[in-house]
Amino acid sequence: MAILEVRDLKMYYKTLRGHVKAVDSVSFDIERGKALGIAGESGCGKTSMAVTVLRLLPSNGKIHGGSVKLDGIDIVKLDDEEFRKSVRWKKISMVFQGAMNALNPVHRVGDQIVEAILAHEDVPHQEAATRAEELLDMVGINPKRYKEYPHEFSGGMKQRVVIAMALACNPDVIIADEPTTALDVMVQSQVLKAMEDLRKRLDLSMMLITHDLSVIAQTCDNIAIMYAGKIVEYGNVIDVFDNPTHPYGMGLVKSFPNIKAERTRVRSLPGFPPNLLAPPKGCRFHPRCPLAGDICMEEEPELIEIGSNSHKVACHKVDMLERGVNIWEQ
Amino acid sequence: MGFSRYLLRRLGYAVIVLFVIMTFNFAIFRLMPGDATKMIIDPMFTPEAIAELKRQFGLDDPPLVQYFKYVGNLFKFDLGLSFSTRRPVVNELKERLPNTAVLFLASFTLTTIIGISVGVYTASKRGTFGDNFVTGAGLFAFAVPSFWIQLLLLMLFGYYIPILPIHGTMSAPPPDGFLLQFLDRIHHLILPAGSNVIVAFGSWALYTRNTMLEALGQDYIVTARAKGLPENTVLRHHALRSVLPPIVTLIFGALPGMVSGAVITETIFSWHGVGKYLMDAVMQQDYPAAQGAFYLIALAVVICNLAADIVYGIVDPRIRVGEGGAK
Repeated sequence: MAILEVRDLKMYYKTLRGHVKAVDSVSFDIERGKALGIAGESGCGKTSMAVTVLRLLPSNGKIHGGSVKLDGIDIVKLDDEEFRKSVRWKKISMVFQGAMNALNPVHRVGDQIVEAILAHEDVPHQEAATRAEELLDMVGINPKRYKEYPHEFSGGMKQRVVIAMALACNPDVIIADEPTTALDVMVQSQVLKAMEDLRKRLDLSMMLITHDLSVIAQTCDNIAIMYAGKIVEYGNVIDVFDNPTHPYGMGLVKSFPNIKAERTRVRSLPGFPPNLLAPPKGCRFHPRCPLAGDICMEEEPELIEIGSNSHKVACHKVDMLERGVNIWEQ
Repeated sequence: MGFSRYLLRRLGYAVIVLFVIMTFNFAIFRLMPGDATKMIIDPMFTPEAIAELKRQFGLDDPPLVQYFKYVGNLFKFDLGLSFSTRRPVVNELKERLPNTAVLFLASFTLTTIIGISVGVYTASKRGTFGDNFVTGAGLFAFAVPSFWIQLLLLMLFGYYIPILPIHGTMSAPPPDGFLLQFLDRIHHLILPAGSNVIVAFGSWALYTRNTMLEALGQDYIVTARAKGLPENTVLRHHALRSVLPPIVTLIFGALPGMVSGAVITETIFSWHGVGKYLMDAVMQQDYPAAQGAFYLIALAVVICNLAADIVYGIVDPRIRVGEGGAK
């Protein structure tokens, strides 16, 4: 059974000019011990979806429907206080985007981990401190540095501390939002490897949000590609990378240079992401899609299964695409 | 090291400022219109008596000699005799200093505690009616002259709803028993200290609110919330804690203003303190008394400034580097 079941989740930001539909009818599952990668360009709703699951919404963001079932319990329906006590960090924790700023500069790193433990478990301070030291050790940081402040750590080490903190309460699911974006490439791969090892060892489920497809390819089992607040393609990482089927998914995979192939120009998709205040009618990708026909401008495509292995695509022209038409080459 | 050099330099400045104040203090009262000697010397006296009186008060020397005597006496804490009471000014100031200190400490402590709490509250309720109301009220109280608000409060609680005493530091005669005396003093303290709080809390509240809002937008606040900490802990332990250094610095920077503000507050509420003493002395052209009170207030301002500089240097390392010449 899936540990996290998201169905029809809708989260809109209220602005002076109307609702921004940042997350619009999104559905996906994360199986226990598996990792789901969520990819898409900036502003497509990846981070909004993460904060919706943890209900860390800004005051103008509101859930407008759908359910998030954690172990069978719909956590959208819990009241705020219960959600804070029983779900946040205890069941679902998060590794944040800005490795540099995710830790409070005026508190010792160890205390910040202890604080997370004590917020959810009734244990003596000493025991929590010992566990914080073990956690630091687990992510490869000398436990003696418990008493140091964040500015005494490098970016990669700070991110390790954040990961250690995310593991503090033995959560079921970890949401990692661009966990390596602020780091340089070498440190990136170290941090990713540390995360992968820990995830395997602790049998954690993970939702990894990134615009870097190579990170998903390296660490995830499944992938969901988002465009303009919706999932347009979903499936096993291997299926999607070998055989991307949605025009946008195809473009995204193709836009990533392959170091083993012949040198070519990296293709970018023409056009811009749509304005989410007034998304295009029908398929949201149609203004940028070379295959767009009449039906694409009128009807919104459903996410339907193609082939096997629950590879799903939301496109009216899926028959054509399945025959292997390469739409992004001249 | 950088910091001790910085400290020495600040100390040097403080000494220079004190010296300049000392000199002005001497000159200003002698430049005031009117003849101070009329206060103590009756024109009906014989010329011999006048000369003798002038000699007693040291007014027969040329100004420069008077000045050097004055400076020399200052170092001996001898501020001369008051023209009007004929008592040593030092003794009179000693009697009044505790009253001023009590009023100052009460106003200052309450203002900072209330100001910062209100700032935290309004930041957490940004955009709500409570936020707008408190922020608006604080701004209003900050913008209008302080004596105006104080006079209105005096009228309200002394005349229309006469529940608070309108002058003095305690009842005359004082009630019996330590506890009753203590309560009586508190009763007298409410209006002056309360009005000081109303006048000054707005600027602290606004400053705290703005720095808090900035802190609340930081990533580590999202982390704290995601950790499932109660909102109260997020506000105090994470947001407020990280903006406290600049606020503390600002508080120390504002100390001198609060000291000098005592003159107005004490005059309005007839508070038996140094500020009122200064005002009375100026009105009566009582040179030694005015000089003494003025000097004491100036000394307090300089000390507060020095404290602010030191705290600033401790809180903000950049100051130390810049001043220490480590470029």
